[in-house]
Amino acid sequence: MKKSLKIIALVLAALTAQQTNAQNKKLKIITTLSYLQYVTQEVGGDKVDAVALANPKQDPHYVTPTPRMNQLATDADLFIENGLSLDMWAKNVVEASGNPSIQPGSPGHLVATINVPVKELPTEVSRSWGDIHPQGNPHIWLDPFNVRIIAGNIAERLKQLDPGNRDYFQKRFDDYKATLDAAMFGEELIKALGKSGGDILTRKAKNNELIDWLKGRKLEAKLGGWMKKAERLNGMKIMSYHKTYIYFADRFNLQIAGELEEKPGIPPPPQHRDAVVEQIKREGIKVILNDNFYSREAADYVASRTGAKVVITYVDVGAVEAVDSYEKLITYLIEEIDQASS
Amino acid sequence: MSCRLLMIIILLCSIPPVAAGQDGEKPRDQQLDELRREVIQLRQEIAGLRTQLPLGDSTQSGELDQLEERLERRAEQLENKIDAVSRSVAPIAFNPKMVTAVNFAARSDNKEVIDPSPNQSVISNRPFLRTVEVELSSAVDPYASAFAVISLENQANKDFGIDAEEAYGLIKRLPVLESAPLGLKMKIGKYRASIGVDNKIHIHDLPWTTRPLIVSRYLGTDHGEFFESGFNPVGVDFDFYLPNPFPGTTFEMNADVVRAGDIAISNASLATSTLSPVAVRQPAYIGHLNLSKDWSNVHLLNIGASIYDEEGDYATRAYGVDLTYKWAPAEERESHSIVAGGEALMIDHINDALDRIHPYGWFGYLQYQTSYWLYLGARYDWIEESGDAGVVTRNIGLYASYYTTEFLRFRFGYEHRQSDIASQDNLNTIIFDLNLVFGSHPTEPYWVNR
Repeated sequence: MKKSLKIIALVLAALTAQQTNAQNKKLKIITTLSYLQYVTQEVGGDKVDAVALANPKQDPHYVTPTPRMNQLATDADLFIENGLSLDMWAKNVVEASGNPSIQPGSPGHLVATINVPVKELPTEVSRSWGDIHPQGNPHIWLDPFNVRIIAGNIAERLKQLDPGNRDYFQKRFDDYKATLDAAMFGEELIKALGKSGGDILTRKAKNNELIDWLKGRKLEAKLGGWMKKAERLNGMKIMSYHKTYIYFADRFNLQIAGELEEKPGIPPPPQHRDAVVEQIKREGIKVILNDNFYSREAADYVASRTGAKVVITYVDVGAVEAVDSYEKLITYLIEEIDQASS
Repeated sequence: MSCRLLMIIILLCSIPPVAAGQDGEKPRDQQLDELRREVIQLRQEIAGLRTQLPLGDSTQSGELDQLEERLERRAEQLENKIDAVSRSVAPIAFNPKMVTAVNFAARSDNKEVIDPSPNQSVISNRPFLRTVEVELSSAVDPYASAFAVISLENQANKDFGIDAEEAYGLIKRLPVLESAPLGLKMKIGKYRASIGVDNKIHIHDLPWTTRPLIVSRYLGTDHGEFFESGFNPVGVDFDFYLPNPFPGTTFEMNADVVRAGDIAISNASLATSTLSPVAVRQPAYIGHLNLSKDWSNVHLLNIGASIYDEEGDYATRAYGVDLTYKWAPAEERESHSIVAGGEALMIDHINDALDRIHPYGWFGYLQYQTSYWLYLGARYDWIEESGDAGVVTRNIGLYASYYTTEFLRFRFGYEHRQSDIASQDNLNTIIFDLNLVFGSHPTEPYWVNR
């Protein structure tokens, strides 16, 4: 009898331990890009383990899906991709993983940008226009307002996959949103407006009413963060190698005068480089943004004939130490452009 | 004033959800335009109300802010819906993805070259449309996807043959087994077999203008080695991951059960003459083990071992090893890369004279990418003839590939051959090769980066 009781006690203990383990089990999350890993970890906290597949120094369009990546995804609970035809290599990884939980259409597969307003949505597509993205410009994360939406999408999916930690994920999301809002508008202004201050300011900025609205409330002096830093860039014309900075420029009131690439994804032919030289001279453009993963040959050629400054930029979190968080990435971009133009 | 705002809120909330095909009378674009106009109009009304607010009225101002917030949130929801509907998937997306790959090649030789296939046609000093491949792929249902490559192949300068180069279903899970162990995937149909690496690559993706000799001569070719070659049997392939033997590595296994007799080295070809048809025992088995490691997606090393086993009165076996190393820097990756590799195959089979022989062959290659556009490379082949291990052929090739994009590739090759077969000895060939890939092919890295 005693022996039986001992066995029952042991079985109960084992079951309880198993249940506790299941409760404590972290969600294993694979993201294509490092900024998605960063945001996922911010929202998921210690309830998730997020791993990014791409090297953040690498061109996100051209990542080699390797057996290591495929195997990492075999037991993932959630696979997050940027979508918009940027990280199309993700499809190969998802398919090769053989993991049914992360196939498109399952709760374990998330296209992070699903409800983010997209720019440059083409009405027609043709390969003769180069490496065009049929669903619009995918470099969406360089606008912090879009990352706010992406963080919300991630939070919702985490809640769905791990309903026991719903409140935890909601709180982490609220906290991260507050971090982004403070970085965007400055802590002082957010504090002055109270709990929903970030939401109000975000909408005002999206509608291009922010400054008038702040002036109306005599809050203009309290504006800080990236919006304040970027005031010096207001209206500045820049040239970029690829159409990477469309969202960034719109948010911080820069003007993208053009690209060194004549057609997206294809290195510029000599005649186009010369046309860019003429444009830069004509419009007095001082800065050329060249993503670190593109050859700087064309940018150097143009710079040597115009005096414009080439800024080699990193666009994903963790590419170098200076951009080891999303917040630092945006600060870095603003400061680099500001320094190059002054 | 608050009443007017509440009216606006009611109006906004009363807007029905946007859905594709919701209103049979109005086209979707028209519905979206109307919603967009409505959102703009509501914003204008809010702005109008703001101007009517008396200066210094902080109570009403605060109230107005709150109401405006609710309106803005609703407007944002509507805008998101509009955006989502704009990007919604049209039913046409259920059609398979279709890609066409065209391979054109022209050769110039210093002596007459006769294709060894039954056609026995002269193939030297002339252009060929080597293949036109139409690739179709789509998800079948939540459990499987399907892939087919219908190939129009030049039969050594004698008309074209239509062939299902590949046609298979990829089963990822089943209702009875929702989650397969070890990432198991099952391929059923006809497919390019996992014997080494090169055999799995389609002709338009090759970095060279010709197939390595061990592939065309040992694994098979219907129309001569200058044309499409390789072993693509009918069977079942199980692809899964094994526990890692070394930290940071991936161990992947392919185990296949295929129809015996289709590989070039099989004695099945003798069955119709000297052997009885029962001499080939079905099925045959293929195994490929691949150990890989990548370093931050910059260096990638693959080491593989293959086996083909066909039992019967006159058993046929092939043992292979393959090695591929790729380097592509994270920065300026599109401009520079190095690929080096090689494969070796040893055969154990019965030849036409009914002798059991063990010929073997190998090839090694090196390719350097000098810029976005240009790749330079060399390949060396050494092979013993499958029918007579004492007869050796050596081939050295130099290649230059010029890519405008991954969809248009020009290749130039020079090959010098020395062989114990007199008709092939001291053969010099210059080959021009053009590959066009068009259709709904996604943007893919160049094959060296795959």
